[in-house]
Amino acid sequence: MSTVDNLSDDEKLGLLQGTLEVLILRSLKLEPNHAYGISQFLQQQSDSEFLVDNGSLYPALQRLLQRKWIAGQWKTSPNGRRARYYSLTPTGRKELLRATSKWQRFAVAMAKILVPEG
Amino acid sequence: MRQWWSKIERALGRRRNLACELEQEMDAHLQFVIEENLKQGMTPDEAHTAARREFGIMAVVQQRSYESWQFRRFESLLQDIRYALRGIVKAPAFSLIVILTLAIGIGANTAIFSFVNAVLLHPLPYPSADRLVILWSGLGYSGRAPFSSFEVFHLRQRSTQFDQISGIWVTNGALPGDGPAEQVKVADVTSNFLPLVCPRPALGRFFGPEDDLENAPSTMILTHGVWARRFGSDPNIIGRSIRYGRYRSTVIGVLPADFRLIFPDDASVPANVEVFESVPVGPWQPDGPGFLHVVGRLRDGATLAAAQSEMNSAAAQINKLGGRASVGNFTVSVFPFQADTVREVRPTLLCLFAGVGLVLLIGCANIANLLMARARRRLRETTIRAALGASRFRLARQFLTESLLLGILGGIAALATGYAAIHAIFAARPPSFANFDHVPLDARVLIFTFAVALGVSILFGLAPVFSIRRIDLTRDLRESSRQSTGSRRSWTSALVSAEVALAFVLLTSTGLLMRTFINILHTDPGFRPDKVFTFRVSVPGYAPLHLIQQKLAALPGVQSASAISHLPLDDAGNWYDYYYREGASAAEQTSVMADHRSTLPGYFTAIGATLLEGRDFTDADDAQHQHVAIIDDVLARELWPGQSAIGHKINLSDSPPGFYQFQRDWAIIVGVIHHVQYHSLTAIIRPQIYVPYPIAPRPSMSFVLHTSGSDFGLAAAVRSTIDGVSKDIPTTHVERMQLLVDHARSESRFASLLATLLSVIALVLATSGIYGVLSYSVAQRTTEIGIRMAIGAPRTKVLRMILADGFTWILPGLLAGFLLCLMVTPLLAHLLYGVQPTNLTNYAVMFTGVLTVSALAAFLPARRAMKIDPLAALRYE
Repeated sequence: MSTVDNLSDDEKLGLLQGTLEVLILRSLKLEPNHAYGISQFLQQQSDSEFLVDNGSLYPALQRLLQRKWIAGQWKTSPNGRRARYYSLTPTGRKELLRATSKWQRFAVAMAKILVPEG
Repeated sequence: MRQWWSKIERALGRRRNLACELEQEMDAHLQFVIEENLKQGMTPDEAHTAARREFGIMAVVQQRSYESWQFRRFESLLQDIRYALRGIVKAPAFSLIVILTLAIGIGANTAIFSFVNAVLLHPLPYPSADRLVILWSGLGYSGRAPFSSFEVFHLRQRSTQFDQISGIWVTNGALPGDGPAEQVKVADVTSNFLPLVCPRPALGRFFGPEDDLENAPSTMILTHGVWARRFGSDPNIIGRSIRYGRYRSTVIGVLPADFRLIFPDDASVPANVEVFESVPVGPWQPDGPGFLHVVGRLRDGATLAAAQSEMNSAAAQINKLGGRASVGNFTVSVFPFQADTVREVRPTLLCLFAGVGLVLLIGCANIANLLMARARRRLRETTIRAALGASRFRLARQFLTESLLLGILGGIAALATGYAAIHAIFAARPPSFANFDHVPLDARVLIFTFAVALGVSILFGLAPVFSIRRIDLTRDLRESSRQSTGSRRSWTSALVSAEVALAFVLLTSTGLLMRTFINILHTDPGFRPDKVFTFRVSVPGYAPLHLIQQKLAALPGVQSASAISHLPLDDAGNWYDYYYREGASAAEQTSVMADHRSTLPGYFTAIGATLLEGRDFTDADDAQHQHVAIIDDVLARELWPGQSAIGHKINLSDSPPGFYQFQRDWAIIVGVIHHVQYHSLTAIIRPQIYVPYPIAPRPSMSFVLHTSGSDFGLAAAVRSTIDGVSKDIPTTHVERMQLLVDHARSESRFASLLATLLSVIALVLATSGIYGVLSYSVAQRTTEIGIRMAIGAPRTKVLRMILADGFTWILPGLLAGFLLCLMVTPLLAHLLYGVQPTNLTNYAVMFTGVLTVSALAAFLPARRAMKIDPLAALRYE
């Protein structure tokens, strides 16, 4: 059950297993955010290439909470709504650093292989 | 790890909060989206709907988020089990049928497996049972013969692979004690025999080397049973001297209560031996008779193959020593003791095991069909659950959980039916099972039962899983749940065909076993058992024996009376040896074995055997006159093919000097009788030779009285007649000859009875399968049939249509069954008598039978279809 069922695979990039957690950590690097904010952030930052499905987002948030990489806190948003804001914990920050360097190496390696010859 | 810990914390305390928090969080999320939509100029309604669509199914998001907090497998398993239990309780009739089918199907397997377990798998209750072997000698054609004392002595000399080589021979004896003397079975054993089959005596000691010395005092060991019965469990029995036969013997030991003597059926070592005496073996008498059944224990680490090859070379050496083995064809075969004891029972048990397996498969096919029908009825529900986000895996697991739960309940019920069946079967068991006096429902049986229960529930549990494999949301939600699709129907019909096929195999096999039993009922045993009354006595000497015979013959109601050393079909210690004609070459001298019987004159008349040629013995045939013998037609044909045996000389062993003082002797054949079935009703095991009692005296004889019909009060008359001769002659085994014949038939009766029972169950299951599936199909097609009738189809056509439907399953099933039979029934050959596995009549009868019964099962729903009221059917839709 996915909310992106109506978009074909060619149109949007599916998320590789395990990437969503890293992206969430990244989105919280600068400031705490709520779930909706996170999904908006990811969509905008990727120029709408990533459309985050709530069915994946919420469980991923729960998993990060379990690992204590992020913490949740109820706060009032600028427009006066109460929302649950997630923020990076110190371990989450370390994890983000580790994952970022890993992903960069991975992306560089992929690019080297996939770059058109000549 | 940390994730686990968080989960545990959560599970212990904060579960409720999670639901609440998530709901609030998602609600806030939705509000953000709505606000966004409103900003873009949507109406509030549009904004709401669009937001909900964009968010996705909240329940799924919530469910998945929960799951990340759960020990997911475990919790959803609990959920599945709860759901399955609800399903089982909500459809009690369905569940009851499934559990009942399993109780019968698995219960039958439990029962037969218990026997397989007790008889074939359990080691014998002996110390180092896995190292025990049985040795058989061969001289000429007979490969399962006992050994002479000389041979055992020389085998021992040449063995390195064996710890022990021991021998046993069973005879009858009279045992005094509290009350009148009693006939008991007595085993002569080598002094090392008992330690092989019994860890330690309950009282006293076993025989030792000192008991083998030439002038050793005579000693005996009693079983616990006879010690309690005859000697009142006297704790001071050890050292007591008992007058036993003609000499006195000292009791040196009592065996424990749980001691059991277990031997192959054809070893003539019955389980009810009660007295043991020691018999020494030595190099004396190279041509002495073979009588010892030899049990050996391999030394630790020795293999059967090494033991066999050592015995081969030992046999070759013994061949050169002279004596009866000197003709050069003496062989020794070594078999594992346990495997040899169950040699006869094994095929019967394995066939029954296969039979109950088939019954279970048929039952499973029925259950699978029921589950599929149920899955189809619940298709709507399933589809909705799929539409709400249940994954196919989850749905499949749901169905499997339900099947497994049914299987476990069925397994529990099966333990009850199995337990009852074990007792029923045990009560009806034939004598070849007599060695096994209890069949436990032990851990292995329990594990087997539940393994089978789980195995079959996965088997039939897959059926509904297949049927939901291709759920198509749009189609299945729209379609009425009462419609079925082609591919699902074909699964059902394949299962019904399989049921018919398996039932046909079982019925055909049963037919063969029943035919065998009928053949055995009608087989000619070579004597007339009805109106024959027998009992066994200890013989004080020839004169009193002769006197008893005359007095018994004079009793009112007795037409003739005689006595013989071995009754047909009795298990008293058998006695057989090699016999040869005058002028036989050395090789021929050990080529024919025959059962040796000592008789009084008139035996053949009394038992109703047929004298083919010559004359019966008379009182004048004694040791002082020319020694004579009577042989059966089998031996006559063997030794003097194509001519009369009368007047020829035969070499035999007799014992004129006294009991068991064997010596070879020449006798003239004076008569030929028709072969008497001595060991089984169906096979000629060995020919027979009869010699008059005076040249072959025996310590005990069986009297045979041919009565005029009613043996009412005969036992008392017999007792007072014998008491009139001597107060000290024990009698036992007072019974009608018919009993021994019935006993001999019991194995076949047992097999055919159980097979019939299984076939009936199989047929009932298979026909209920046909009936059920066809009824269901009629119910589903009610509208279609209604329409057909409404537009003018005649009722008979509807009937024919439904019947044809049924026959498209039944006929392929029968055909497949027929092919299966061609493969399976030859495996039964060992159990059959007088009927070929490929017997055409049997096939024809069973084919017609299964066809008729299945046609009937198909006819009932077809008739119901014919009676459908088109108006009602259409309105119903």
